[in-house]
Amino acid sequence: MSIHVKNISKSFTSFKREAGLKGALQSFLNRKYETFHALQNINLDVDTGEIVGILGENGAGKTTLIKLMVGLLYPSEGSINIDGYTPWNRKNEFLKQISVVMGQKNQLWWDIPASESFLLNQKIYEIPQAEYKKTLEELVQLLNVEDKLNVQVRRLSLGERMKMEIIAALLHKPKFILLDEPTIGLDVISQSKIREFIKFYNEEYNATFLLTSHYMNDIQALCDRVFVIHKGRGLYDGNFSALVNKIKPQKKLIFEFPKAPEEDVIVNLQQNFDFKMIRNVVTAELPDKQLTMLLGSLFKLDDPVTFSVEELPVEDTMKTFFSNPEKFL
Amino acid sequence: MTWIQTLEYRANLYVGLFSILSGILIEYLIWKQIFVARGTELIRGFTLNELVAFIFLSMIVGQLKSSWVTSIEMIEAIRSGGLNKYLIRPISFYTYHLMMFIGQNSLFYMAYFTLIAAFPFIFPGLAFTTNFQIFGFMNALILAVYLSYNMYYMMVCVSFWFHEVRALVIAYNVANIILSGQIIPLRFFPEVYLKIIAFTPLPFLVDFPVSIATGQLPPEFWASKFLIGFCWCLFTWALGKIMYYFGIKQYGGYGA
Repeated sequence: MSIHVKNISKSFTSFKREAGLKGALQSFLNRKYETFHALQNINLDVDTGEIVGILGENGAGKTTLIKLMVGLLYPSEGSINIDGYTPWNRKNEFLKQISVVMGQKNQLWWDIPASESFLLNQKIYEIPQAEYKKTLEELVQLLNVEDKLNVQVRRLSLGERMKMEIIAALLHKPKFILLDEPTIGLDVISQSKIREFIKFYNEEYNATFLLTSHYMNDIQALCDRVFVIHKGRGLYDGNFSALVNKIKPQKKLIFEFPKAPEEDVIVNLQQNFDFKMIRNVVTAELPDKQLTMLLGSLFKLDDPVTFSVEELPVEDTMKTFFSNPEKFL
Repeated sequence: MTWIQTLEYRANLYVGLFSILSGILIEYLIWKQIFVARGTELIRGFTLNELVAFIFLSMIVGQLKSSWVTSIEMIEAIRSGGLNKYLIRPISFYTYHLMMFIGQNSLFYMAYFTLIAAFPFIFPGLAFTTNFQIFGFMNALILAVYLSYNMYYMMVCVSFWFHEVRALVIAYNVANIILSGQIIPLRFFPEVYLKIIAFTPLPFLVDFPVSIATGQLPPEFWASKFLIGFCWCLFTWALGKIMYYFGIKQYGGYGA
């Protein structure tokens, strides 16, 4: 399912008021409205089978973009075309091919077991009985929730509920899936299971995924490509690793000597490279090229007991990026 | 599915049924005292038994057609972003909630239909004296339920613009209970009022089906009344659709 987002803008009107009773009275008598531009001139093309991560701080416009793509909102300007459909026309043929999971919003029926919601979805999406049974069994096994199917949704843990949400969203085998914070609040094991599952589903059914997450591990594990939104504007569209390299091209080196080298040798090296030496261990965060040169120099001094070259934590890198995105792009 | 949902909360179901039966009992006791106090056999052409039978049926019809709880849920869905759940699926918000409303009430419907079935024995000769009356009543009841749902739906759509309109629904519900003849028959209201409401759909919500069942409305008037009622259904349905069409464009999908 290919997606073409062209010059999309979305504005909301809201009113502002000061806190307290006085503010409430003032607002009641003379309400002051203001327009908030949630998205401005967004362009994005996604090919069938791609998993694209949408990145941005809180309030950047990620969820608004997702809502526009599934037809929950009407744009103020621009167009979206998803396999020939305009999302906000909400044609049944289109709705049968998409699915949305919003990590912070419950889409299952709260008071009844998930199995009942699944049955309702079967009727809504007109899934043939045999296919429904097969898909449900497959999804339930993959997500390991066989024993939770008949428990009232409100009594499930957050992780279990999220798995049920994902099952409900995929029962009709959609071709285009939007995941908004699908791992929010989950423990690391559940996060990893959901990531594995998304990857599996993408490969098995060649489904297109759009994913927002504040967990950079989700993005790193799933998305080769990311689309960065900052204050409602598209800031970057491309390879995630390239973005990370652009922000912080350094890697971390840890090099342990059998015994500490002469001090003047180290001081001499430190004139050319930025690194720390604590007892007999060298640590440095340097770009690829410099790191290779430093490594060569260290090997000339002595063979290491151990040494490692690691990527810097992507969470930290992105934190640096979001503090001032324009600086890096 | 709504049965399953309803049965999850057994106490709520019992209390719901009990509160309606107790309401009918209170009405009976009040009117009995009024007749005794006035020392008369007839009030506005009704004997005590006829009046109690009429009110008894009116209350049942009033309960069956009232979708205010569903409307509050729908308004909350628009206000809090819960509407998303319906918009992303190939289902209609209008039809889904109409079905949910009928489903949620179906257990009550069964209880009420048991009461209605017992009507000829409780009030012999006062209602459902012919099969034609039963047939007419059932059709008028369907019309009342559908028309009432459409009227609530229009109020639900107002929430696209004003967000919080639950007070409007509650106010309408209270006014509707009185003005549609659910507690006191419309014939007891002043002439001026009757002339005004003749131009509204209100008489079709309670008075019309009950008048058919109790024989207060002769069969020769049914066809024209059904036609007018049908036109009201069509008009309110179309108005609801138009309001939704424009209202959904205001929807912000907040809370998600």
